[in-house]
Amino acid sequence: MIQVQGLSKSFGKVLAVQNVSFSALNGQITGLLGPNGAGKSTTLRMLYTLLRPDSGLAVIDGFDITRDPIQVQSRIGVLADARGLYGRLTTRENIRYYGRLHGLEGAPLESQIEKLLLLLDMQAIADRKTDGFSTGEKLKVAIARALVHNPPNVLLDEPTNGLDVMSTRAMRQFISRLRDEGKCVLFTSHIMQEVAALCDQIVIMAKGVVSATGSPNDLRRQTSHENLEDAFVAVIGSEEGLS
Amino acid sequence: MKKIGIIFQKELIDNLRDYRSWTIGLFWCLFGPLLIGGMIMLLGNTIRENLDQPLHLAVSGTENAPSLVSFLKQQDVIVEPAPANPRAAVIAGDLNVVLVIPKAYGDDFSAGKRATLQLIYDSTRQSASPDIQRIQNILDGYDKYMGLLRLSLRGISPQVTRVVLVETVDTATPQSQAMIFISMLPYFIIFAIFNGVALIATDSTAGERERGSLEPLLINPLSRGAVVIGKMLSAVPFGMINLLVTLVGFAAIFQVLPVEELIGVQIGLDAGALAAIFLICLPIVFLACAIQTLIASFTRTTKEAGTYLAFVGLIPALPGLMLAFLPVKPTLWTMLIPTFGQQILINQFLRSEPILASNLAISAVMTLAVSAIITFGAIKFYENERIIIG
Repeated sequence: MIQVQGLSKSFGKVLAVQNVSFSALNGQITGLLGPNGAGKSTTLRMLYTLLRPDSGLAVIDGFDITRDPIQVQSRIGVLADARGLYGRLTTRENIRYYGRLHGLEGAPLESQIEKLLLLLDMQAIADRKTDGFSTGEKLKVAIARALVHNPPNVLLDEPTNGLDVMSTRAMRQFISRLRDEGKCVLFTSHIMQEVAALCDQIVIMAKGVVSATGSPNDLRRQTSHENLEDAFVAVIGSEEGLS
Repeated sequence: MKKIGIIFQKELIDNLRDYRSWTIGLFWCLFGPLLIGGMIMLLGNTIRENLDQPLHLAVSGTENAPSLVSFLKQQDVIVEPAPANPRAAVIAGDLNVVLVIPKAYGDDFSAGKRATLQLIYDSTRQSASPDIQRIQNILDGYDKYMGLLRLSLRGISPQVTRVVLVETVDTATPQSQAMIFISMLPYFIIFAIFNGVALIATDSTAGERERGSLEPLLINPLSRGAVVIGKMLSAVPFGMINLLVTLVGFAAIFQVLPVEELIGVQIGLDAGALAAIFLICLPIVFLACAIQTLIASFTRTTKEAGTYLAFVGLIPALPGLMLAFLPVKPTLWTMLIPTFGQQILINQFLRSEPILASNLAISAVMTLAVSAIITFGAIKFYENERIIIG
């Protein structure tokens, strides 16, 4: 469970994130929707402890992100904006490295890797060096290594970016599956249909602030637009940067 | 501590598979031995050629001074006819030196006046200087010889013109000439260490940032210190191998080349000497890895880190170059300067001078301490959030 209260962050004079508050519950998919530059990635980066908020509070499973970063890190699985792999290591070695950094080893680690390879349909590429993998294959490896320690909270930054139709479908099914396992899933996207189709709760961000929060139905009601797409545009105030 | 081990292990495998980086590193190791070997061969050949060969001298106007020409021939000079334009021949580099005997020489000589000879040469041409010096000595000898003859004819003792007798005592031995080469060894050894680890160390740090794998790595539950130390240490084995290859390279070059025949002294590196120099240089390996890690922590790409390479390899080696020309005594302050202390120690070792154990310890401890401080600086860079957004 992720609770965010009044989170703010600026870079020089740029107010990237201002007073952002929301909660993401276990067993739910929460979507952070907004145009490019809305502050989604910066918010996520603060939650996964790599950026320090200027003010505000964020708590993951009861641990403060600034005071207990190590505790937070072991309870989250992250697909970051940067998702580079080690090209000279194989798929299995990439995943194993992260597992060991999370304190896993031996048989439990190997069986967890095997489970993820099966789940993400990666047995064929398990022992190939990741250099030269397709975007979809690389993404699968990045997701597998992020989830190797079976974290209760999953943070995904634009998980379908650059994927073809089939891979996007598979990714969405995978995200639903994580919810069904009772995890708290938080992901960012600028694709309205994706957010509408997947999310139990939507947090709409624009220009660094949260402009609306609620379930798809709540949002339709709030804006009195039947079509969700029209509702988003009404909330954000423009169609710019969405697709 | 365990996390450092995990990172170390992963980076080591990653680096080992990065053939390009470490083969380039190995090339740098062989650079020093090959260069020194080449210089020894070149110098040896020039010395031998000049001493063994008779002096060929182009002389114009031989008919003006038959006695001088026969004196030259007595001195084993092979007199050859000079070209029509001797000055142009010297400028073009066809001849090292030309002796011109003017028409007036014969008359002046017979009249007992000062007779003028002309020697044409280019003093900036290094390769010509042995020839020039030899012919100047011979002409000087002729001048003195004729002067003494004339004084004797007039019944004056030649001693009258000899007021001061300068006796020279040259303490330079063939060994001390060869020491110039030995003084250059520390430079090349340190050069090899720094260049050898550079690509490896920057690839695992700046390279990680460049490829976008640093951000996900730092989300794992581990301290930044563990990341930096693990990465820094993973370059150390490569530095050690480079050091070893360089030393073995030098030993092999001195073994293969007939060094004694070429420059008149034996330079030898036996197994004991190799081990001692290896141990003296070991702290420098840590220093090189720490410096490269620090550079890679504030540069964004391996390319940017590479721009610092030339300086980094050069600066620690500068004192070594200085040592080749200036004698520096192994005092305490020199031991406190990382790389400088080791260079002096290697020199002392190669000259078979006694080495103080305290000097060895001070230089090792100081170099390791500086490495630790530099690593700490790199950790500070890693703890800054600019490592993610910069």
